[in-house]
Amino acid sequence: MIEFDRVSRRFGQQDALRNLNLQIDDGEMALLTGHSGAGKSTLLRLLLLLDRPTGGQILVDGQSTKQIQGNAVGHYRRRFGVVFQEHRLLFDRNVRDNIALPLEIAGFSPHDANRRVRAALDKVGLLAKERADPNGLSGGEQQRVAIARAVVARPEFLIADEPTGNLDPALSAEIMTLFEAFNQVGVTVLVATHDLSLIARSRHRLMTLAAGQLMQTEVA
Amino acid sequence: MTQPLKREQGHWGAWAAWRAQHRAAASNSWQKLAVQPVVTSVTWLVIAISLALPSTLLLTLDNLSAVAGGVDRSPQLSVLLTGDSELPVAEQLQRTLKSWPEIDDVVLLDRELALSQFIQQTELATVVGSLARNPLPHTLIVMPGPALSAAAMTELGQRVQTLSGVDRVIVDTRWVARLETALQAGWRWVLGLGAVMLMGAVLLLGNTLRLAIEARKDEILVVHLIGGSPAFARRPFLYLGLWYGVGGGMVAALLLMVMTWWMTGPVNTLFLLYESPQTMRVPGAFYPMSLTVLGGSLGLLSARLAAGRYVRQLVSLASS
Repeated sequence: MIEFDRVSRRFGQQDALRNLNLQIDDGEMALLTGHSGAGKSTLLRLLLLLDRPTGGQILVDGQSTKQIQGNAVGHYRRRFGVVFQEHRLLFDRNVRDNIALPLEIAGFSPHDANRRVRAALDKVGLLAKERADPNGLSGGEQQRVAIARAVVARPEFLIADEPTGNLDPALSAEIMTLFEAFNQVGVTVLVATHDLSLIARSRHRLMTLAAGQLMQTEVA
Repeated sequence: MTQPLKREQGHWGAWAAWRAQHRAAASNSWQKLAVQPVVTSVTWLVIAISLALPSTLLLTLDNLSAVAGGVDRSPQLSVLLTGDSELPVAEQLQRTLKSWPEIDDVVLLDRELALSQFIQQTELATVVGSLARNPLPHTLIVMPGPALSAAAMTELGQRVQTLSGVDRVIVDTRWVARLETALQAGWRWVLGLGAVMLMGAVLLLGNTLRLAIEARKDEILVVHLIGGSPAFARRPFLYLGLWYGVGGGMVAALLLMVMTWWMTGPVNTLFLLYESPQTMRVPGAFYPMSLTVLGGSLGLLSARLAAGRYVRQLVSLASS
């Protein structure tokens, strides 16, 4: 379970997040929305320990992230699969090697890694592109490779920051279907988006941030 | 799907995983070198020159030291008598000097004998015959006791100089001392030059690696975001530095071999001209191995410095 307990993040005189209370249960899928500058990215960065709160605390499975320091940060981040709007694929590696990167970091055996990469590629429908150069893939395919990379190590949490920002509505729907499929097998999913078409068709909890505060929570 | 990661990878083992990560980093870094043959060759060559030049100079000095070490360095004085000193005067001086306790032996070189030897060796009989008189003086070769220090030698020379009939005293070992001093200066110069060139190699490697890190900035950031440790992010660059250094060291060894092969003929001829039985010392396995190890160490050091700094900068930028 992820819990934000009166979390604040202040940059100079400006509050990016202000006394934010939020909870995401295990196995839940939630959407986080809000205008640019509402605090969505700050929230995700705090959750991934790319930044630290200036007030309050974040608890993951009851453990405060304040206690996670040094090498433990890497281990903590491996519990998360992360999907970015701009894919962040490595273009000097083929599709297979991009997806295998989290497994390499986590120290999986080559045999296990190959098995998992193929399973992840199968899930995102790109098994035929295993040896392909990411440069030759479409935007939607690149995003699906990024999703495969995010889920290949079977993380507990899947975090996506504007994952459909560069995609057309049909592809966006496809990506959301994938997230839902992972959620159905037990992965806790948090998607930050301001894509209205996604929000409209979502059957999941929607949290709206404005000026660093949680304004509204809607349960579909 | 949601099972914790550590449970999933338990059977593989931390040690095997660590080795696999190193193998992958080493192999990927080697592949990065292979796809940039021009950059790799130029870097290897620059490192090789930085290592081979001081090594060649060291080898030269090593050979010169051997020459200096082979010289008979028992101290002796050459006492040149005045041109008008006759043989009885020389014999008297020989007896006087022999009686001094600090002197072991004194040999008299008769000037008539010296002239005839000179004529034999130089075939200048006609020229010498045209001279009104023998220009060579009688000479006494003074061999002091073995325990005599350099200062005592100088003092002895000064005392001999004051004797009647003595024109000039030459301390014969001085040139050896001069050579040794020159060699010592040479060693220092070469070591200084070597240190500067090695520093240059470290800076060059550091810069090359910094560019490599810049080019793979995205990879470092992604590794950081998905839970890779700074050591994991640094590792490919450490191997890159190692391959650059080892490659440079091996090319340096090759250059040294070629230089030695090229110089052996003329240097051996020089030794022959100086009637030295010595031949040029050819570097054995020690030099190439040392150069390779030194190159590898320099590569690792440069990589550790560059990667440590730039990876930390990138990671802190990502986290700020």
